[in-house]
Amino acid sequence: MGNFFPRWTNWLPLKVAIAVVFIAFGVSVGVAYYFTPKYTRVGYEPTQPVPFSHKIHAGQLGLDCRYCHSFSEASSHANVPTNQTCFNCHGPGKGNIRSNSPNLELVVKANETGKSIPWVKIHKAPDYVYFNHSAHLNRGISCVSCHGKINEMEVVRHDQPQSMGWCLDCHRNPENNLRPLEQITNLNFKPADLKRADFYKGLLDKKIPAKEIATVIGGEAAKADDLDQLLKLAETTYGKEVTQAEVGAQLKKHWQIQPPENCTACHR
Amino acid sequence: MKRNWIHPEEPQNAKRYWRSVSELERRENFLKDLGREFPAGDTLTDEERENGRRDFLKIMGASVGLMGLASCRRPLTTILPYTQHVEWMVPGKALMYATTMPRSGGATPLVVTTHEGRPTHVTGNPLHPLGGGIDSFAQASVLDLYDPERSQQPLGMGKELSWAKANELLSAVSTEAKKSSGAGLGVVIGATTSPTYLRLLGELKVALPQVQLFKYEAAGAEGSAAATKAVLGAGVKPFVKLGSAMRILALDCDFLGLDPVAGAPISAFTKHRAKEAKTADMNRLYVLENRYTLTGGMADHRKAIPASLIPAAAALIAVELGDSSAKALADTAPAGLKEWIAPAVRDLIDNKGKSLVLAGSRLGAEVHALVASINNALGAYGSTIDLLQEAPAPEFGGFAELQAAVSGGQVKTLVSLTPSNLYYDAPDAAAFVKLATEKKVKLVHVGTLKNSTALHAALHIPAAHYLESWGDARSADGTYSIVQPMIAPLYDSASKIEVLLALLGRKKLGPVEAAPPAAGAPPAEDAAHTAVRDTFAAVAGGLDEAKWNFTLRDGFLKASAYAKAAVTPNVAAAAEFIAKATPAAAPTDEALEVVLVPDSSVFDGRYINNAWLQEAPDPVTKLTWDNAAWIGSVTFRKLGLKDGQHVKISVGGAEIEIPAIEAPGHATHSITLPLGYGQKGVGVVGSDRGVNAYALRKQPGVFVLSGAKIEALATVAELAITQEQNTMEGRAVYREGTLDTFNKDVAFAQKTGMDGHIPENISFYKGQMGVKSAENPEGFDYETKHQWGMVIDLSKCIGCTACVIACQSENNIPVVGKDQVRKGRIMQWIRMDRYFAVPKWGKNNVEQQSTWAEDDPTPEQLESAEMVTQPMACQQCEAAPCETVCPVNATVHTDDGLNAMAYNRCIGTRYCANNCPYTARRFNWFDYNKRNPLTETSVLGMKVQNLYAGPLGEKKEDESLRLQRNPNVTVRMRGVIEKCTYCVQRLESAKILQKQVQRDSKNFRVPTDTVKTACQQSCPADAIVFGDLADKKSAVVKAKASPRDYQVLKYIGTRPRTSYLARLRNPNKNMPGAENIAVWSNNQF
Repeated sequence: MGNFFPRWTNWLPLKVAIAVVFIAFGVSVGVAYYFTPKYTRVGYEPTQPVPFSHKIHAGQLGLDCRYCHSFSEASSHANVPTNQTCFNCHGPGKGNIRSNSPNLELVVKANETGKSIPWVKIHKAPDYVYFNHSAHLNRGISCVSCHGKINEMEVVRHDQPQSMGWCLDCHRNPENNLRPLEQITNLNFKPADLKRADFYKGLLDKKIPAKEIATVIGGEAAKADDLDQLLKLAETTYGKEVTQAEVGAQLKKHWQIQPPENCTACHR
Repeated sequence: MKRNWIHPEEPQNAKRYWRSVSELERRENFLKDLGREFPAGDTLTDEERENGRRDFLKIMGASVGLMGLASCRRPLTTILPYTQHVEWMVPGKALMYATTMPRSGGATPLVVTTHEGRPTHVTGNPLHPLGGGIDSFAQASVLDLYDPERSQQPLGMGKELSWAKANELLSAVSTEAKKSSGAGLGVVIGATTSPTYLRLLGELKVALPQVQLFKYEAAGAEGSAAATKAVLGAGVKPFVKLGSAMRILALDCDFLGLDPVAGAPISAFTKHRAKEAKTADMNRLYVLENRYTLTGGMADHRKAIPASLIPAAAALIAVELGDSSAKALADTAPAGLKEWIAPAVRDLIDNKGKSLVLAGSRLGAEVHALVASINNALGAYGSTIDLLQEAPAPEFGGFAELQAAVSGGQVKTLVSLTPSNLYYDAPDAAAFVKLATEKKVKLVHVGTLKNSTALHAALHIPAAHYLESWGDARSADGTYSIVQPMIAPLYDSASKIEVLLALLGRKKLGPVEAAPPAAGAPPAEDAAHTAVRDTFAAVAGGLDEAKWNFTLRDGFLKASAYAKAAVTPNVAAAAEFIAKATPAAAPTDEALEVVLVPDSSVFDGRYINNAWLQEAPDPVTKLTWDNAAWIGSVTFRKLGLKDGQHVKISVGGAEIEIPAIEAPGHATHSITLPLGYGQKGVGVVGSDRGVNAYALRKQPGVFVLSGAKIEALATVAELAITQEQNTMEGRAVYREGTLDTFNKDVAFAQKTGMDGHIPENISFYKGQMGVKSAENPEGFDYETKHQWGMVIDLSKCIGCTACVIACQSENNIPVVGKDQVRKGRIMQWIRMDRYFAVPKWGKNNVEQQSTWAEDDPTPEQLESAEMVTQPMACQQCEAAPCETVCPVNATVHTDDGLNAMAYNRCIGTRYCANNCPYTARRFNWFDYNKRNPLTETSVLGMKVQNLYAGPLGEKKEDESLRLQRNPNVTVRMRGVIEKCTYCVQRLESAKILQKQVQRDSKNFRVPTDTVKTACQQSCPADAIVFGDLADKKSAVVKAKASPRDYQVLKYIGTRPRTSYLARLRNPNKNMPGAENIAVWSNNQF
């Protein structure tokens, strides 16, 4: 009997095994990164039929998001505005601003024909996901938390993964994203911009007992009877500047923010 | 601890409820599939399994390859915003509009949900004086709007015509009529209460004095109209106050079902059926009828008698009340009937002023005259029946006059505006068609379906649906409502008002050719709109714009009901009718009677192409997609028939072949034939379903045919009957008792079976349970969360299946077709269980004492069966058996107590369905939404049902049916389990709305009883209560506190959130057999 297999084949099974391990590892890592919304969605930046610049409108001019997306606080959808909204400023006989600009050509045409402008959808929840804008905007979640700094985007891009895990991260820890309702559409908002005295006065004005506010800051043992004591307590706990943890914890407690983690909250 | 659960032995002396005779007698065909969640096709043969595996691997290999290619690019999708703002429109939010469904019996007030302009769901209008729940026909009417096979184009003898041609033909009719001042023109309409319609007909009569007007409804009430006119006077309308009547005797009158009386809503009747504390104050219903109807099921005393004997029974009642004129007729009553009627009439007399007698609308004039004089003697007029003075209307001839006019040549052109289908459902339709053809009658037909009349008309005009046209109608009490369009017509079509306007030369039909109005300009004035506004001005006393807008908003004009009529019933006129009556002989084996009745799915045939209604099981027989001859057990067994076996029924020279089914509780020697089936050409839903029973009818106004012969044929039809599907395996799930039992022990229902002996809080199934507290940290949070729950009152539930359709409409539930229903794959989330029970049976006629198989009831005993109904859907168990077995957590509990279903997570193992003790889960065996289950595909020259054609089958969603879908509910795909979720989309919307309102404050509890489920809204009997158990003020908390409250299968410890209130019956001790009714055995052990 001759040797059917040369000597080097003795190590072959081991080599194969090691290779399989490496390949499996590589595939797992690849799938975990490239097959998730973090890779597949973030950065999606399609060209829109009308070169509308959010940077100019929302950034430079400071238009409130809700001027155009007018029903975002009332409905599940944040509506894309009608031509009439554009024409409030650009329309002939109205604001007349740059009404001859070639960029507005499609808008004018749509107005004449009654045919909608085909805006390319960027943020696309699957059909079985029932996201509701109004439930978030009325409860202290800003546009920026999910859409990024739109006011700095010339062309809107997909900024956050918007995967189920990403949603749940916030539903489990909403305090990281809560902010006062009047700051919802302020995309440049930083908690440090808040005046601490105003913030706590606002809470006290809502007839929330100082004691309850204090326990949120310093735990069960903390005590405070008035605004001054609250401010002192907050400064010792959080430092000079107002922090997100501070704002988030207070709002979560006093607005009774209990983001649902049930399947039915989003899937019906 | 692991336990092997064994259901407790059924107590030997308990009352048994059964769904079919096969179940009762434990026949082989029933036992075979008992206990299997899905009877057919849930297992494969070895060969199939082997091939299936190979095919699967092959296909998987290919699709993985393709998937890789397909997923490279993200598909481009676009958002198309409105170019102009639409008033009131908030994209993503539903808008509700009040409107009215015009029907032959009067207006049904509705609130319509529209999503971005698409009407998707209708409910009753709770503001309307007669508002509340609605029946299944109104509930399903929204689907007719989107019927892809609706008539969409004018036809001439079945060939498509252009609108220009149609207008030309119509104006030819109108010019010709003008020349002859209307001679030769006939207009036939259906029963209507629309003031505009009647006004325009009046104007037509003025413009063309010679025009002849007829009224024809296939299952219409000519006898009742004649008697009412003679006894009460012209234009007087009896309005039955069901809420004031404490004793009701119904003579073949299905007033809770298919034969509604003009009167108070059903909820006024059921209000007096539900008691929570000891009382003697409960209404009582006596019913005499030949077959089971929903009214018969609700009755406290019911007797099945042949329909031919109803006049004699009415006469007996009159005689008991001292009216001697009916003596001759009463003497023809068979023995035994008097013993039943005498104590019932005594009871009516004892409750004078609170009692009334109702007669079915299709009975003859003599019965209605008799009943009028009976009600007069009972003092019903003014107390339980109001007499209202209707608005004056033109005179109409009946079908007999129409026939005479056609044969006499007075009618050369006939305009048919009736919803009936003249060439199919007319008495002796074949002869009528022949006559019309011979006399060269030019038929102009207006209708929504391409039915026989449409296809044979010289000109057929597609009719607009009521949700897309202007109109008006009056409800039973005369309250004026406007029909307002919810959507621009989907297809070019014309409403009946528009056709009349065209005949009057005031409108051109068809597409509007003018350019669309410029932005901001008011829309062109619509002639129908103007006509309705003119009528409104007349009714409301001036066209006040604010009043018009309020009427549109509320759905009705306040204080517009008919005035009460000051009339005294003319008893002498009644006696004339009675004297003319010819007594009918009781049917015998040789001369059976045939009773033609409207069907619960298609009514008189007009709803034939509505798939929801076709698939909704008949409330009594549980038959879908077909009609069948209902035959009582005695006759059925004497003929040696099998269920579904064809029989040949011949009467008066006509004969039909139809499958027969055994109907417990049906009178001997009587055959019930539901009408409306066997139509041709109407579309894949309705064509060639069932058998046309109109073929037996020769005379107008006659629905009981005597002297019929029956002959068994060899063939057996494949019927899709759901009564043996999803059974509860005979477990005691229904509880009822008499008022006496209740007064002795109000909590009798909670002591039935093992319920008194179940240890608290021990369940086979693990899960959250009870109220969260220090001792029970795993319990449900009643402090900061909603806790949803439901109570169904069996005392009120009439079993009408309106909830089934409401659920289907709200939750995008697909239709699966007859073939799939036969396989036990019906998708409706609510199952309306119907049980029969025989109080005493066996040779010795004693309470059931032996096992099922040994001692079957005799056929005679089966004819005295009681009938009860119980809606059953997911019970939202707190300790849900389904959840513990799901391998992928697709069905889990929410913290507000719902048994949630994440469709996109379900992989279709069906373990949950197998483990559900209530058999409430449904499985999508196919992609019913994309693959039409009703059509056939040709594969290699062979006809294969579309579902089974695989990739060769047609896979597309009907564009128009898609418009009906509720955008807030996932459209489920193949391989997914689905079930009731308490309309979770409504619950979540309500919670979010509350958050929108409250914003940064704390109160997030949805206001008490503001959120309603679709079934609850639709229920005409107010039997369903839903709400937040954590809200102490809510109606559902009050209902759960009722002593009648019980949970189905409580002893297995699933802790369902849906509970039932036991049914009460109020038998009269003096009635024969009273001791047998709703026997409740005190079987505690």
